[in-house]
Formats: sequence, structure tokens, C-alpha cells
Amino acid sequence: MTTAGLHRPAPGSFPETAATRRRRAAAGWRRTRLYLVSRRVPTALVLLAGLGALLWAALRWRWNIAGGAAARQFIPLTVEAGAAALIAVTTYGPFGEPERAAGRWLPVLRLAAAVALTGIAFGLLAAGAAAAHISAAGAAPAGLPGGTIALLRNLGGMAGVGLLSAVALGGAFGWAGPMAYLVVTEAALAHGSVTPWVWPTRPPYDRGAAVCAGLVITAGLVLITVRGPREPGGDPGPA
Amino acid sequence: MTAATSAPARPRAPRVTRALPLGAWRLLRVELRRNAMPWMLPLVAALFWFDSYRPSTQTEPLYVVRTFWNMGQGHTIVDFAPFGAAVAAWMGSRDGRRGLADLVTTAARPRWVAQLATWAATAIWAVAAYLLFVGLMFAMYARQGVTGTPPWWWVAVGAAAVTALTAAGFAVGAFWPSRFAAPAAAFGAILVLLMSSQTGFHHGDGWAMILPTNSNGSFQNDSGISYPWLPDLPIARIMFLAGITAAVLGLTGLPARAGGPGLRRAAAAVVAAGLALAGTGVGLVSTARLTAEGMAIPALHDAADDAPIAYTPACGRAAGVPVCLNPAYGRWLPAITGALAPVLAEVAGLPGAPARAAQAATTYTGSSIEGGPPALSDGGPPQAAALAGQPPVLRLYLGMLNMPGPCGFCDGPVGGTQFAGQLRLLFAHAFVGAGSSPGSPVQQVVQATLLRGAGIPFAAQPRLMGSTDNFPSPSSKSALGPVFAAAGRLAALPAAARHAWLAAHLAALRAGRLTLRDLP
Repeated sequence: MTTAGLHRPAPGSFPETAATRRRRAAAGWRRTRLYLVSRRVPTALVLLAGLGALLWAALRWRWNIAGGAAARQFIPLTVEAGAAALIAVTTYGPFGEPERAAGRWLPVLRLAAAVALTGIAFGLLAAGAAAAHISAAGAAPAGLPGGTIALLRNLGGMAGVGLLSAVALGGAFGWAGPMAYLVVTEAALAHGSVTPWVWPTRPPYDRGAAVCAGLVITAGLVLITVRGPREPGGDPGPA
Repeated sequence: MTAATSAPARPRAPRVTRALPLGAWRLLRVELRRNAMPWMLPLVAALFWFDSYRPSTQTEPLYVVRTFWNMGQGHTIVDFAPFGAAVAAWMGSRDGRRGLADLVTTAARPRWVAQLATWAATAIWAVAAYLLFVGLMFAMYARQGVTGTPPWWWVAVGAAAVTALTAAGFAVGAFWPSRFAAPAAAFGAILVLLMSSQTGFHHGDGWAMILPTNSNGSFQNDSGISYPWLPDLPIARIMFLAGITAAVLGLTGLPARAGGPGLRRAAAAVVAAGLALAGTGVGLVSTARLTAEGMAIPALHDAADDAPIAYTPACGRAAGVPVCLNPAYGRWLPAITGALAPVLAEVAGLPGAPARAAQAATTYTGSSIEGGPPALSDGGPPQAAALAGQPPVLRLYLGMLNMPGPCGFCDGPVGGTQFAGQLRLLFAHAFVGAGSSPGSPVQQVVQATLLRGAGIPFAAQPRLMGSTDNFPSPSSKSALGPVFAAAGRLAALPAAARHAWLAAHLAALRAGRLTLRDLP
């Protein structure tokens, strides 16, 4: 028996029933859940929550040390870079070629996961910063430099750097981009450099910095969606 | 004869001829070949160039200044260690990530030994690359004519810090075999190092001196130029970092799967020894005190390190007066003789005029200093020029000045005219005997007159005083008031009359016994 005689039914010949829609929805949910689990997204969410708590504690108890811009921003920037690194590392897929060959929804899942994780990371860090203000109860916590707008710009841009890094180096090494960008940013802050490509050095409402960060996150999302993270040949990959 | 008859009756026990068995070398070689660290090195090299090398080239070509940012404040470590820690975590988590932990536990070699080989390969790559990059940076400095002595002890501290952070990262990966181990190790390393940098800015003594990115008491003035870099603090930091390395590596040998009971007991002993070594390092730096040559730790200090570095001075002449400098400052000899010539010509022939000028070692200053700054302090800041001895010698403490040219820690490059004005001001201030204070009104009058004679108009003098580091400026911001009025009258006298008045009143002027009414 072969499949030569089989044809796809013409559209509309079998009207989609409620049961079919339920099955499709269940399959979609299962596919999404398996994708998220395979990318260790639940662990990433726990770690992102930990970073939010760290930011809360740093602001609440004023861990920032008095000094110049590099000193004031280094804990928030390090936390943002850490969140971006986590987002980048979740792009690693353990299945490689077979998954790419069989999973036509993979680009959509990659895009959705990256956007959702970036949004959740922003929410958790913003919540951490807000909680520091609420829990301070008059004790004047250290403010988040640049406020929520700067957090959104910096985290978004760094997540873009992480996604680009995952495309270039592989998802498992996607952390390298945000960490390198953090070192560059601290050096730029210490030396008073204000190029918009190092957006954390610019004021929160600076248009050039916002455009640069936006371009980087857009490029990162497009490339991670279309190309996916680089897959090193022969490496069984991380757990 | 057959193979059976030629076989020995009993197998011979293998002879142990190496400290490390051949198998261990092979294992290390395999790990070196299969390590991920080389793939990270291009990125680290780019960061090293951007963060450590590039900013340093905008500073004076003296090793103590060039290496302040990258070695003193530890930016070479910041550029390297997070990536070394992360790759070590990646390598340390390898068996767990690939589900091989059970398999390698049953191998002939104990798991801890195999893990140590993996860590050693990562650390070798990281430290070798660190030393290579620092060596290349120093080679570039040498090509650019940077003078002084490289801070070799601080290079060793950097290598120890990279080793310690790779060990810490490896332990993270070994205990948490996850894809997130590497970013977590990088995040932890960078947080610790940046916090160490920021803490170091505000702590000049005590426990914080153990932090590998704390430059206080180590990278100022003439270290490596007039006197050697003191090795005390680097030795204590290396002890601390070696202790941390041993302790965290020992921790990876404690779980049951690491090896037999004997090996695990050895691992526990390594942990204890590492903690003891790290604690000793912290204890030692707590006893550190600032001396004229930098931070000294009594238990580690060698008096031979206090001996000044011998040199053949670079000499020139300014208005007939010999001017001799440390050869490290030789490139600025023309600028210095050119700056001093007009003011030395003003005072030539006076009984208190300097017979020669010589550079003196600039020493460390601080609240707990021994030896201390030049002996002209009356509560004010130390001055970069002083007259001492008989016949008088002008001592120049050039380590306190920003020399002409690029200046990484100023608002911009130091111009030749700006430097010449500052040196003339410092000389005139020393000549009138004002010391570390603004001086008496008459001393200020003579200072202003000497400067005007050397080509600096009255109107420019208040700004010059304000822009000269450590200069005890008078409160006046403009060239008005009784001092400048009297200076105008003194400057209006013929040069011979002014010279004669100075010759007659110099001793009283320096003693501060004259009032404005005593002026001609």
C-alpha cells in the first residue's frame, strides 16, 4: 500500500467541528508547553523572579555605592544584563536538526517566547523597583536610575544583544553578548562616553538611545525568528 | 620460540617515574583540546582592547599612570574573569548536562580527578590568555616609550583572580548542571568584581584591601620609578585568591560520587587548608599600613623593598642652573627647563637662589602615613616644589603633577603653557617660603611680582592658582586688592632696585616677619 492515492480533502468538504477545534487547541497548547519545557523556560522564570528580588533588595537597602554614573547604575545594569542573558540562553534547543525539519511552528514559538520572556522580565524588574519604594516606608530607598522608561530601554536593548549573540554564538553561549555589553557600558560610563549605541549612558528620554536600543531588539527578534540560534554541530547540548 | 614462551612469568608492576601519571597528562591534553575557552577569547580580546588598553593610552606614558585603570582598578580582571568563570561553569556542568554523571562515576579514574583535569584545562587557557594579553599590552607600552617598571606583582594578582573565578565558576557548574550555570557564573563574577571596584574607591585600609580591584595605596606617585612596587599587598591577595581556589575546588570533591573515602577526606582537607589560607590573607591585609612607598604588611615586608631605585639622572640647564630628573621623566626635561628658566633668571644671584634643581621621589600621603610628604607641611597640602639644603636645592616632586600631554584623569590634555605656568607658580611659592599655606601678604606680593617678571600677568594669576593641584590659593578670585596693588608697585621698580631689596630682605620675607609697609 502506498500513499499515492491519498489526497488532501478539498477545503470545506469536511466542516471543522467543535471537537476538531478543541483537539487543535489542545495540540497547540501541548506544542507550546513542550517547547517552553524544552527551553527550560520555567527555570528561567524562577531566575528572573530572583533577579527582580535582587533589584528590590539592592534598591531597598541602598547597595549602590555613592559615586559617578558608573557607580550609581552598576547594580541595576548588572541585573538587566543578567535578565537579558537568561532570555538569550532559553533560545537553545536540545533537538537540533530534527526539530527544525519537523516543527513548522518553531519560528513563531521562538518569537513568542523571546517577546514574552522580555516582557515578563521587564514586569518582574519593574515590580522589584516599585516594591522597594513601597516597602521603604519613608526610609528613602535608592531610586532606579532613569526610572521605568530607562529600564524598558536598557533591558530591551540588552535582550536584543543577547538574541543576536545567540544567533551568532549559539543559544548556550547567548549570555556572552549581554555580559560583554555590560562591561562596555560600565567602561563608557566611567569615561563619560555618550554614544547612543551604549544607550544606558544616555538620559531616559533620549531619542537616539531609544532608536538604537529599538533597532537592536528588532534585529535580535527578527534573526532569532528567521534563523534561530546557531547550532554547533555534534554537540548534544545542554540539559 | 613462540609468543607463549617469551611472555614474562609475572607482570611487572609499572614504575612510577613521573610526579603526575602519564594518563593524567593525556586527560589534561584531551581537555585542553576540547575546551570551550578558546572560542570565547576573540570576544575577551575585543573587550580587553576596549576597556583595558584603549583608555590607558590617553594617559601619561609612565607605567604607574598607564596601569592605574587596567591593573590597579582591576579592569583586566573584569574583562577576563566573568567569561572565564562562565566557561568553567559550562565545562563543569558538562557531564551532568549530558547525562553522563553515572557513567563517569564508574570509570577507572575517580570523578574528582577527572573534574580537576577539566577545570585545569579551562584555567590554563584563561590564565595563559590573560598573561598573553597583558604581555602584549606591555609590549605596546614599551614600543610607545612608556617609562618606569611594569607592576609585575599586580599581573600575578590578576592571574590569581582569573584562576580563582574559574574555580568558582567550575564549582557552580559541577553542582548545578544546567544551561543557566554559565550565565549565573558570569553574572556572579561580574557583580562581585564591580562591587569590589566600587567598594575599593571608598576603603583605604582594613579588610577591603583584600579586594583584587582596590587600587588604594598601591598605584600613586612614583611607584616603579623612584622606588619599587611593594609586593606586600599583592602577596596577601594572592594568598587569599589561592585559598578561595583551593576551597571551592575541594568542595567539588566532597560528594559521594567524587571518589573513595580517602579522596573525599583529602578534598575536605583541601577545603580547610584553602579557607585557612584565605583567612590568613584577610588577616594580613588588616594589619597593612600606608608607608611612604605604599601599603606595607609588617609580617610580609622586606626592608630591601624600601631602597630607592638607582638611576643616572637626565640633566639640563635652566638660566644656568643645572636641572636633573629621573630618566623616566627625561622626555619632559626640555619643558621643565623651559618653564623654570624665566623664574630662575629673576632670582639669579640672590643669596637664597637655588644652586641646582633635582627631582625628588614623591611619596604616598594619607592619614596613617609614615615618612610622609615633603617636609613643608604646616597643615596644608604638600607642594610639588620645595627649597632645601645649603646651598639651596630646588626639589621637584613631579609625581604630584600632571605632566604636559595626554592626561587620562583630567578634563583634557595638559598644555605646555599651562604646565609652565604651574611650575613657575610652584617655584615662586617655594622661593618666598610660603610652604603649604597661601603665605603672608608680603610673600604673596613677591610671588606675584616674580610671576609677572616670568611672563604671567597679574590678571592670569588667580586662575592659575585655582587650576594648580594642591595649591593653597588665597581667597581672591581676581587680581585686585592690596596684595596686587603692592605687587604692581614692586614690579614697577627697576630690576636692579627690586633685586637689591630682595637680597636685603629675603631672610625676613621667608620668616614671615615683613608687612606690606616694609615694601618699597
